[in-house]
Amino acid sequence: MSKGSYTTVSIPVQLAEKIEKRIEGTGFNSVSSYVTYVLRQVLSSLEEKEKKKEAFSKEDEEKVKKRLRALGYID
Amino acid sequence: MLVIGIDGATWDIIEPNLDKLENFRKLIQEGKKSTINLSQKPWSPSVWCSMFSGKSPEEHGHRDFVRNGEVVRREDIKVDFIWDILQEKGVSVRVLGVPFVIPPYNFNVDFEFVANGVPVEIGEIEKDLENITEKAEEILSKEKPEVFIVVYTTLDRVCHLHWGEPVVLDMYRKLDEALGRLIKHDKEVIVISDHGFCDYDKAPVRTLPRKTPRGEIKGDHHPDAVLITRNVQYQIKQPEDVFFALKEKYMGGE
Repeated sequence: MSKGSYTTVSIPVQLAEKIEKRIEGTGFNSVSSYVTYVLRQVLSSLEEKEKKKEAFSKEDEEKVKKRLRALGYID
Repeated sequence: MLVIGIDGATWDIIEPNLDKLENFRKLIQEGKKSTINLSQKPWSPSVWCSMFSGKSPEEHGHRDFVRNGEVVRREDIKVDFIWDILQEKGVSVRVLGVPFVIPPYNFNVDFEFVANGVPVEIGEIEKDLENITEKAEEILSKEKPEVFIVVYTTLDRVCHLHWGEPVVLDMYRKLDEALGRLIKHDKEVIVISDHGFCDYDKAPVRTLPRKTPRGEIKGDHHPDAVLITRNVQYQIKQPEDVFFALKEKYMGGE
């Protein structure tokens, strides 16, 4: 998708009404802009969590190797 | 189907102690037991990888936890595992702790292992066993996946450094309790080890060094692995057959 283009997703009417109330008097000028903001926050936090899970720190990696060496799994 | 992997379990401990291992005894009575004489080296990373990819070590190419100084990750192994394939077909599958890599591999499960899955001290090993069992019970009772695979490294870890000591049987008893807590959740069960264990000097295949910075290695891996099945029709003769048993059950002739 090219930059700046949009698509439509459906959310329950009740949820949309709840959001409308929530954004009254805030900087969000539509339900869409609020939902976009929330989803970006959620996705970015999930990605951060996944990155952390994947990457061993150097210190952890050395600890793991020490343990594998203790058991004889590596030299 | 419930698959319980027990790293390093051997009939040499289970059979003479069946009077103390009531859940192993129960499962054997209700199902079938056999010995898998491994056609590949009794080496955990490659055997677990074969078991759930259906491929031989030559085909999957995964040999060690560490390669060229780097800890090997799932992404480094270019195969589809049974959980990847089943999920693609819409089967609900959860996987907890398959130790072909460190930390042991989870699929659709969020869980952290004691000492990244390499517990060495007895207290750590016991804690890891209990944590895994609690998580496994939670998955089986609440999420009820069609396929659940869980692997314990408990016996392997204790046997490396304590083979021949009373603590080994203590750990088998704890593992037996864990088995009892899990097998009541599913009628179809596979219990399998990736290799057996034996006295260091009696090992037909040498896989471990005599000494490590931690001390003397007391036991070594043995090519005879344990298999118990309950209500499983597929003939499992080698670790790879677990992959094919699951594939046949959930995907038929595909």
